[in-house]
Amino acid sequence: MRPEIREYNFDWMLHKSMHIAFDSLKGSKNEYRRMLNYMPYFKGLMDLLGKYDEPGILFVELVKDAVDDIVFAHDQGKKICMTTFCLSPIVLLAMDVVPVVMEPLTVLPTILWKRGTYDFMNHCFEVGLSETSCSSQRGALGAYLAGLCEPIDFIVFDSGGVCDTNANVFSFSASYLNKPMFQLDYPASFLDKKTKEYQRKDFRDLITFLESQTGKKLNLDQLRIGLEETHKQDLIISQIDELQMLKPNPLPPIFNLFMYAGRFLATSKPGYTKLLQSMLQTAQNNADQEKSGLQSGKEKCRALFCYIDHYSSDARMWNFLDDHGISHLGSILSRFFPEHSPYLQDDEINSGYHIKLNTLDDMIDSLSEINARSPMVKSIRGPYDSPYMWLADALAFARLYQADCIVYSGTPGCRNTWGMVKPFARDTEKHGFPTHIMYSDAFDERVESFETTSLRLAEFFRVRQLI
Amino acid sequence: MDLIKQAAFDLHNESITTWKENDHQVVGYTCSQVPVELFYAGGILPVRLRGVGIQGLDIADAYYGPFICSFPKAILQSMAEKKLTHLDGAVIADGCDSMRRLDECWRKASNDYPHMNIPFFHYMNIPRKVSDHAKEWYIYEIQKLQSVLESHFQVSITMEGIQKATQTYNKSRKLIGKIESLRKSNPPKISGSEAFSVSLAAESMSPKAFQKQASAVYDRISTQPSEIQDGPRMMISGSAYDDIHLIQTIEAAGANVVGENVCFGPSHRANLVSEELPPMEALMAHYLLECPCPRMFGRFDYRLALLKERIQNVQANGVVLQNIRFCDLHASENGLMERELEKDGIPCIRLEREYGSQTDTGRLRMRIDAFLERIS
Repeated sequence: MRPEIREYNFDWMLHKSMHIAFDSLKGSKNEYRRMLNYMPYFKGLMDLLGKYDEPGILFVELVKDAVDDIVFAHDQGKKICMTTFCLSPIVLLAMDVVPVVMEPLTVLPTILWKRGTYDFMNHCFEVGLSETSCSSQRGALGAYLAGLCEPIDFIVFDSGGVCDTNANVFSFSASYLNKPMFQLDYPASFLDKKTKEYQRKDFRDLITFLESQTGKKLNLDQLRIGLEETHKQDLIISQIDELQMLKPNPLPPIFNLFMYAGRFLATSKPGYTKLLQSMLQTAQNNADQEKSGLQSGKEKCRALFCYIDHYSSDARMWNFLDDHGISHLGSILSRFFPEHSPYLQDDEINSGYHIKLNTLDDMIDSLSEINARSPMVKSIRGPYDSPYMWLADALAFARLYQADCIVYSGTPGCRNTWGMVKPFARDTEKHGFPTHIMYSDAFDERVESFETTSLRLAEFFRVRQLI
Repeated sequence: MDLIKQAAFDLHNESITTWKENDHQVVGYTCSQVPVELFYAGGILPVRLRGVGIQGLDIADAYYGPFICSFPKAILQSMAEKKLTHLDGAVIADGCDSMRRLDECWRKASNDYPHMNIPFFHYMNIPRKVSDHAKEWYIYEIQKLQSVLESHFQVSITMEGIQKATQTYNKSRKLIGKIESLRKSNPPKISGSEAFSVSLAAESMSPKAFQKQASAVYDRISTQPSEIQDGPRMMISGSAYDDIHLIQTIEAAGANVVGENVCFGPSHRANLVSEELPPMEALMAHYLLECPCPRMFGRFDYRLALLKERIQNVQANGVVLQNIRFCDLHASENGLMERELEKDGIPCIRLEREYGSQTDTGRLRMRIDAFLERIS
């Protein structure tokens, strides 16, 4: 790693960036417009956040608070846990543990900083992690491995049996940093009794681990408050999901990112509820006017992102969709499967979780069920064409949300999906959905520049006569 | 040695042909955590699937994406090229993400290549951790495997049968251990390529035929003077490795390969399965708890200790930490191993390669030469 990069702490830089972004958005319109001239490299992103007023500001505030929590955790006597996006943070937050979620912390500087996270990604390789590992963690991880952040206390992940490259990153970090770790391990099956029992036992072991690391017992009241708030959030998400089914889709494309990033960083926190309420209001207003959530107000095409999104610098993917009149119908990241989700009306994916609050045991079971439906954990743990897995989900979403096409965006580090995305795409095509496989890296533009990625995407939309 | 060599590099070898002539079944499996004893107890010959003898990956690339380890791709290609038509079934275990997707790619490819549509096809799910419920889960999985084998092949797999199969395979393991002991002297009595061929053959022969051949190899080599020249003693560790090309490259450079710590080598094959424990528990203890693969997360210290012990046993002067491209599990583990071993004064070299023999020979030879210069 270049010496100058070591001069500044990664989390502090992020903390400063988020505060500046928040202050800029909170300023007057004139101040904000003037400010844009001084940020040529992420003007598009700021504009994207700024043009939605309240939801944009609330989102930035949520992220700012999450980064503040990390930076000041130890000052406040809290433990820091390195973790992953597919682990629901409810249990950590209920135990006063601050989650450091690698993937959102990679995305933020990738879209926010001119140089992205390349130096940190490279550092992972310098210290022994394979260069072909998933870039979604490496961006932030490099900084943690280099000691450029508030040190973590322990590591928890839940991708054993789900995604090797994800699990491997955390297992490697535990050995490299010499920190205690715990992994939730998932069977390839989903709803059978044996699997549920395994998940229950595994989740209880996680709580024992957390209790031993924090030195305190899981607090029943705090957990109840967290789950009640999560339930409230689930109801709002379900309403947003329902609106997204309308034609035209009244949800602005970037709201998908707000929805899942908020979920990964702040599920069960009131700030996330506020953000969701504001997003719902915006989408509802658009729906009342039968208006698309796109800036132009005109929807030309409806695209379902069957895996993740693309996080180029300056968030150009989102503006690309906006500019081309393409509605974003959500991705694997924005579907969480609470029992009242409108998409659960499809019998093939009807598998929602139910939050029970009667006893501590009930609540722990609920946590286990929520986690078992996290992105990736639910749908790519088994063969992609098995019941309740990726293909069934993607086809059901495509049908319910009236998708015109399906887009796969991922990273070359994703062994799991690259192992079968070609047959998957053939299957979705057979069902009548034009499907595009993006060969770019969602987190690393050195693999393919966004200019090339967007040209290929545009070609797909044009050649398949979608726009 | 000819039959051993043939079996080491051809999954449709004489031993298997003889087995099939007697109307016996052969089932391929993909991972060293699949318990071979279970098949053998039902009169079925288990053969570890490999992608030997193929010339390219054109068919496999039509199903797998580009960022995937070439090992499972080679198995798919091998099947598509009709090199494994003698199989009566296959068990795909989720050893790693690339390998577990062989399940879907194989099934999808069999729509386009009907000969790939074999009568018995089973997906085996194996925990990636060690805990009480993971042990229960592994036993549940092997009971499930037992049940599907019994019902498909109309055989009975009894506990007594598993115990007998365990004794039979343990006999092979002891033989491998004896042959491995010939590598301990300096210079070793057996070359690395010959010794490793024996380990490979054990995966693709009937155990009784293997024992006959391996005993003959041991008797021959242990009684004759060694023709091997003195040289640096090397160990190979890392990703699945199932040909002798890298060993030959190292030995041609003047070193002796005295041990392997890879899942086709004695690291998996030489340890005995308990004959005292109840059969299913014994299989679980061996195949789950003793598994030295980095797919078992959080077990780095265990694997490091094992590797150090093996290095010590064979008095290796250096370790080649190799991985197949896109094998993140081993590549990252190699990074950690290198750090720890170098700290202890054990020189290491990390090599990335593609699966299969004769790939990248020049580059590998140059790096090996440079490494040997460092440690000589």
